[in-house]
Amino acid sequence: MARLSVQLGPLVLRNPVMSGSGTYGHGREMALMCPPRHLGAWVSKTVTLEPRPGNPMPRMAETEAGLLNSIGLENRGLEYYLSEILPSMRDLDTLVVTNIGAECVEDFGTLAARLDGEAAVDALEVNLSCPNVGGGRLPFSTDARMAAAAIGRVRAATKKPLFAKLSPNVSDIASIACAVEAAGADGITAVNTLLGMKVDWRSRRPALATVQGGYSGTGIKPVALRQAWMCCKAVKIPVIGCGGIASADDALEFMVVGCRAVQVGTSNFSDPSAIGNLAQAIEHALDQACIADLEQWIGSFDNPRALAGA
Amino acid sequence: MPAPPQDARSRVARVVRCTPCGADAFVLELDPGEELAPVRASRFFMLRREDGTSPLVPRPFSLYRQQRGNLEFLIKAMGRGTRALVSAPAGSKVRLIGPLGNGWPTIDGDGPDWVMLAGGVGSAPFWMGIEQAQQGMDGKTPVRKQQVHLLFGAASSDLLYDFKGLAGLGVSAHAATMDGSHGHRGHVLSLLAQLQASGKVPERVRLLACGPERMLEATAHLAFERGWDAWLSMETWMGCGVGICNGCPIPTRAGGPRAGWPNVKCCVEGPVFHVREVDLARRVGAPT
Repeated sequence: MARLSVQLGPLVLRNPVMSGSGTYGHGREMALMCPPRHLGAWVSKTVTLEPRPGNPMPRMAETEAGLLNSIGLENRGLEYYLSEILPSMRDLDTLVVTNIGAECVEDFGTLAARLDGEAAVDALEVNLSCPNVGGGRLPFSTDARMAAAAIGRVRAATKKPLFAKLSPNVSDIASIACAVEAAGADGITAVNTLLGMKVDWRSRRPALATVQGGYSGTGIKPVALRQAWMCCKAVKIPVIGCGGIASADDALEFMVVGCRAVQVGTSNFSDPSAIGNLAQAIEHALDQACIADLEQWIGSFDNPRALAGA
Repeated sequence: MPAPPQDARSRVARVVRCTPCGADAFVLELDPGEELAPVRASRFFMLRREDGTSPLVPRPFSLYRQQRGNLEFLIKAMGRGTRALVSAPAGSKVRLIGPLGNGWPTIDGDGPDWVMLAGGVGSAPFWMGIEQAQQGMDGKTPVRKQQVHLLFGAASSDLLYDFKGLAGLGVSAHAATMDGSHGHRGHVLSLLAQLQASGKVPERVRLLACGPERMLEATAHLAFERGWDAWLSMETWMGCGVGICNGCPIPTRAGGPRAGWPNVKCCVEGPVFHVREVDLARRVGAPT
């Protein structure tokens, strides 16, 4: 499997497969379903400074080609994470990425500072883009200056590798990507969920208690792929592709356009063990296509329209 | 954080057969491909067809019966997920995730009688519940025939899924239908009141309930009013069944044993809760 290892900024992942934040537990819960050594990195559910009870129910609704959620970053807060969860992660046989979320710049800085000294944390992923807090306003991921301010504050507070998770709910993701790169991010995760909603016209009621939520799963893959590609073209730091990825083909589509790793999210719900087989499936697919050097192949996407200036 | 049970696995099972049961349900029999240890009644599995005809997210079902190494699920055909499962041809593959959840408490023969309140397809976890209680659970005294009262309620007689089979397990079994087409006319709690008034069920009982949400709310209300112990086998919309999606919370009861956090995850902390643990009233008003 050595040939699958990828460089992700300052980190070396044994393979490009990561779990998506909020879709694979908060600690070691899923170790029985997927041996951690089968993952390039494991990403926590978002940790906030204070406990958050989450949004009212219903929080989830299925659609024709994906899933809507409005969990609302339910978690027990930083202190609980530090005392009850992180100690059990020290010997996890994969890299641990702690995802952090906040509603103000100061809290992002505090979270990063407190986690900076934690040996169990290999990297931070900054959730700039949860659509389920603050009424979907997404202040940190739709405004390049605010995105840069949050990342800058985190950068100043930690030496750990730092990834910025961006929202697809913007007209120009490249400008946000450039802003977080300039502010010190070591990489970009592209993308979080799309804003969406579902209604029952008969009862005239929304499917989600919060009316709108984050749309994920198979249906968003083309949108996510384009947004990830836009980021790859815009920045020099590595991009982690995320959005509708379930298979080796899905993963390699994101990697050929330039992503150096991928995150698997909603498909963990369909089969929580499948992510553990994905790296092997990627290796098999590369063998079938006679691709020997993954590092060289990443980003080798041939786009004649781009060459023509389209 | 609560993790999936140690014995839970994700595996591919093969459909043995799918047999109609009542007006709108089926018993789906699956061969899990390996012998599973006996599963506690009211634990559940997540099911999803592997051929792409199921929706993205698997669906939770209580185990109905476990026999000859196979697993049976009582499935009411309602929406896309259930319709896909009940139309799965013999030999086709189904993703089987489980066993999940906690299951019924110890149904023993040492305390007050047990009343099992089954509403429609909520009867599913009682077949094995009766069998296991009669065999003895967790090293406790097995229940005797007259210590268990099964009250099965449905809208009409054709929705009393295999009532005859359940009654044949050797407990005191009673039916209630809203249209009066079989047994008592009305719901299971009015049937319980009638049976207690006539002395067929003792005044002090322990309740186990599984069924529609309003039935569970009424059960909880009655249990508090009378000071009875009662356990509810809950169902909510579940995205994963293993505790990772956070989509199945149930509000906790203020002052109750789980009051340290505003909600519990139905899948990994339930699906069976004592009425003191959860607050069903706080779910009212949410869109369905």
